[in-house]
Amino acid sequence: MRMRGGKPILLLLVLLLALPWQAAAAEKIRIGFIYDLTGPFAAAGAVPAKIGTELIVEMVNAKGGVLGKYPIEAIFADAQSKADVAINEAERLLNAEKVDILAGVYSSAHAVPLAGRVDAQKKFFWITVAISSAVFKNRNLRYVFRPQVHSDQFGLLSTQFLAEFVKPKLGIDPKDLRVAIIHEDGPYGTGVATSNEEGAKEYGMQVVLKEGYSATAPDLSSLVIKLKRARPDVILHTGYNPDITLFLRQAKELGLRFRVLIGHGAGYGQIDRLIETFGNDVDYIFNVDPVAAQLLDPKTLAPGLGDLIQEMVQRYRERTGAKEVPPHTSMGFNNTWILLEHVLPLAIQKYGGWDAEALRQAALDLDIPVGGTLQGYGVKFAPPGHPMAGQNLRAFPVVMQYVGGKTFIAYPTEIRTIDPVLPLPPSSPFAMR
Amino acid sequence: MPVFDIFLLEAIVNGILLGGVLALLALGLNLIFGVIDVVWIAYAELVMGGMYLIYWATRLLGTSWPVLLGASVVAIALVAVMGVLVHVLIISPILDTPPINQLLATGGLLFFLQSFATLLFGADFRNLGLHLPILNFLGMYISFARLLAFAAAVLGMLGLYFLLTRTYLGTAIRAIAQDREVMVLMGVNTKKLYLITSAIGGGLAGLAALLLSLQYDVHPFIGLTFGPITFMICVLGGLGNMLGGFIAAFIMSQFISIGGLYYSIEVAYVMAFVFFIVMMFLRPEGLLRR
Repeated sequence: MRMRGGKPILLLLVLLLALPWQAAAAEKIRIGFIYDLTGPFAAAGAVPAKIGTELIVEMVNAKGGVLGKYPIEAIFADAQSKADVAINEAERLLNAEKVDILAGVYSSAHAVPLAGRVDAQKKFFWITVAISSAVFKNRNLRYVFRPQVHSDQFGLLSTQFLAEFVKPKLGIDPKDLRVAIIHEDGPYGTGVATSNEEGAKEYGMQVVLKEGYSATAPDLSSLVIKLKRARPDVILHTGYNPDITLFLRQAKELGLRFRVLIGHGAGYGQIDRLIETFGNDVDYIFNVDPVAAQLLDPKTLAPGLGDLIQEMVQRYRERTGAKEVPPHTSMGFNNTWILLEHVLPLAIQKYGGWDAEALRQAALDLDIPVGGTLQGYGVKFAPPGHPMAGQNLRAFPVVMQYVGGKTFIAYPTEIRTIDPVLPLPPSSPFAMR
Repeated sequence: MPVFDIFLLEAIVNGILLGGVLALLALGLNLIFGVIDVVWIAYAELVMGGMYLIYWATRLLGTSWPVLLGASVVAIALVAVMGVLVHVLIISPILDTPPINQLLATGGLLFFLQSFATLLFGADFRNLGLHLPILNFLGMYISFARLLAFAAAVLGMLGLYFLLTRTYLGTAIRAIAQDREVMVLMGVNTKKLYLITSAIGGGLAGLAALLLSLQYDVHPFIGLTFGPITFMICVLGGLGNMLGGFIAAFIMSQFISIGGLYYSIEVAYVMAFVFFIVMMFLRPEGLLRR
């Protein structure tokens, strides 16, 4: 490029002015977190996830920041449960606030469009909660990473669990099992439902109904009646909050009966809310989710993590007054912890800073064995070229069961805290009679 | 799959009951449009306000029937007052400006109420935790809460009908609905009538709040679930035409219910909206306008 006389000097001046300021600013790591603080997703887990994130940022900052000397400046943005707002907020955080890292995101409906956009800008994007496999599948993203499980695993785990237990517990051969799959019709519900169907097919189960609906639908009675007609043994359900309570309420009113109900996260993860609404009726319902860290046996985790979990639980209860700590708190906390305590230190020490390239390299280098994070899973990201490039291949969800208002781990068997109860016992209003 | 069976009948009955809920919501909105010529876009948010009132009353005083009844009366009265406030503070100053202004102003109110509720109560979903009896009739299950809502919608409709046709006040309201300008020339105090209409409309929102809180969770965004479809029903029935709105509510609910049974809820909505669009071409003034 040719420059005339004055310009190089001007440029030099600007550079000189900018340099010391840059050095001072470089002390702080700016991270923009997007969660839904308002709108329907807020109460379906987004707010507990945000609080989990906040807690770990505070705890890391309390000891001086990353590596004890680089404090985190967290900027929280509200996506208002709307994809367009999430995209606008991401643009604002990246280009106006000039954050170094974009992180968070509860909804898969937001994560899918965001991932492509942020990757195209070559900015580092760290997804903590949204699970849809569509975020990564065959997109070969380079700057987007997700320590969290992905939705294909959700859907497959519930069918795997059924395949193992329906014969001994229900006396039904998996090939004769009647399965209904119902889901909210966003990428999250659709993604889980698709893998539910794949899993059911793999085990030869009969899918008697598969149907989506809008999470804000004012009425689900026709779906309930259809289910009564289809007579499934098992219902696999994926939804947010208002639709799950509406479904369960109408299912009870309309006399729907089944043997097993397995929910897949989001609204089903909020047991406090479900109990407030339905009391004992939620007993024996299953939920597939990344585990709430406090349910794990700390002996199965790396040393020190048990104490960290205890502190998370204590701080969460102090902040919210809640009894149960939902799994989303662990997701926000643990997945941010991986970023702050593993990715960032590695990027700084090995790659000399926290620009997108260094962070990306560090993330790809990461190799945490199973048991090495608060939610039990390890971390190894799928490299570029892999069909799920950017996805943590060592993350796994678990099957939980609610009994007497408490949450137990039912599957995988190695870490279970309860022998799963199925079919629904007669005390349940949904039990077959 | 059999075409006719007990499940179809059950779906039709549930559709009728859902229609009752929607008809009740449409009633107040229609009344206000018919008389004041203003669309309260934030109508469902007033209902939300009423639901929170009932929730907090039962939360603080328990969920016994006397409390619920008392809370309902108070909620209906307070939402009626909210209706009057909406008119006095928001509509009245811009009543004579182009309709788009009123639309925008009540639209603003919608966002204000949503955000205000989030600020006050948080984004949590709350409900009364009531366990209503389950009705089993000829092998069909019927929701008790819906049955109540249906009965209230029919009673509300009849009550409004008698108020409008058999009382002096009703005659005045109907007259003003027919010609705003001439009524002023005849010495009628239109302001007072507007206030009364707003109060009735608000009261109906309060009644709807009571019946909705028996079957839905209250949260700041419940209006998203009911606002658009209520508005659509009013338009389908002819904005301001109360009988039209009443009938339109049942047409829409049957689309949702029967369509949902034979196809899927998503397809059912598509069918309902296609029907709506076609009707807008065939009868842009609403179902019952000649």
